[in-house]
Amino acid sequence: MDDITFRRTIYADPFTKDPEVIEAAKNDPKKQAFWDDIKQMEASLEQAMNIPVPEDLAEKLILNQSINRFQKHKKRQPWYLALAASVVLASVLSIGLINSSSGNLTNDVFAHMDHVAYEINKYGKTDIASVNNKLASYNGQVKEGMGDIVSANYCYLNSIKSLHLIIKGEQGLTSLFVVPSQLSKSVEQEFNNNVYTGSAFLLKSAKIIIVGENASQVALLKEKAKQLMSFSV
Amino acid sequence: MFGNKTKESPVSKDMMTKQRRYEALVKALHADIFRYAVWLIRDRAIAEDVVQETFLRAWKSLDSLQDEGAAKSWLITILRRENARRFERKQFDLVDIDDVSVADPVAPSDGNIENRDLRRAIASLSEEYREPIVMQVLMGFSGDEIAEQLNLNKNTVMTRLFRARSQIKDILTKDNEAGVKVNG
Repeated sequence: MDDITFRRTIYADPFTKDPEVIEAAKNDPKKQAFWDDIKQMEASLEQAMNIPVPEDLAEKLILNQSINRFQKHKKRQPWYLALAASVVLASVLSIGLINSSSGNLTNDVFAHMDHVAYEINKYGKTDIASVNNKLASYNGQVKEGMGDIVSANYCYLNSIKSLHLIIKGEQGLTSLFVVPSQLSKSVEQEFNNNVYTGSAFLLKSAKIIIVGENASQVALLKEKAKQLMSFSV
Repeated sequence: MFGNKTKESPVSKDMMTKQRRYEALVKALHADIFRYAVWLIRDRAIAEDVVQETFLRAWKSLDSLQDEGAAKSWLITILRRENARRFERKQFDLVDIDDVSVADPVAPSDGNIENRDLRRAIASLSEEYREPIVMQVLMGFSGDEIAEQLNLNKNTVMTRLFRARSQIKDILTKDNEAGVKVNG
């Protein structure tokens, strides 16, 4: 393979699997050196493209979507349609409330447990200050000593904005959900399915739900949460 | 009378699943989509707006996304369309970024000089070279995927990728030479 073709191929795709390119590099140290050089530039290029992302972007995108859904009704239609729409909306909501009061949050909590893996991977480390920052919207705070909080993100439990903390313990990960108690639907104090064990209790204005695969870790976290977390009404 | 209403209606259940799918999509891909938008638009504030529009549109047509594995290129398609609409909407008050002297429109400085120089070099590429290389390096798209996304044939894509890298390399070399002259 001639030099120009070799360089062109590498420049177009530094990680090419083209057997001719690989063979050519094997037989010519200069070509190999050039390839190594480009691979190195590629790593820098990747790093440079990985620009920082605004911290609250994901939350904004999720919130924006729910706000927009309701605003759409308001904007375009004349007032009487808007009135009709709000009557419909109100009845839909009240039917929803009648429905929802019969169910509980347990299934939603279990469903959210499936998200644990990517929440950790996508968001990276958090710290106590950032956790407290987020807890502030629930009038709450936490002291040091809960363990290694690997993730703190808002999520929706049956359309109630909740805070989902993931805490790493000796026996793996445990989740702690903070839900405003006045909005929260009923949850049994102790619940489980064949994978997870859960426990729920009230801390003044907040309902705390703890879920994990390891029952003793759930119990331990429950005690810690009672001691270290505080909420004002 | 309300006896049969205690069961959750299929509609609200669908809505819940949709909400969860949407949240999963946002959490998994918002960072890459935002970065792509910044490289395409070269302005963080405008890029954020376009990303908002993109995800709103994604929510509206979420049912058309059958395969979650294709979500990334699906979102890029929406993003590129939203960006094009921006030009249709307000043709007059757009300012070409090349005419404005902005310290670093794509990212706040992180004190890393190599990053800064490379970011400038990437941002200075014309769109026809910048898009394919960002798709390849940042989004991990193959030559075929880029070709499909940009509606080009694969040979053209490979040529543009080659030119993009050689231009970046040229810019960096020139920077270095200029640096030597100034310092020497």
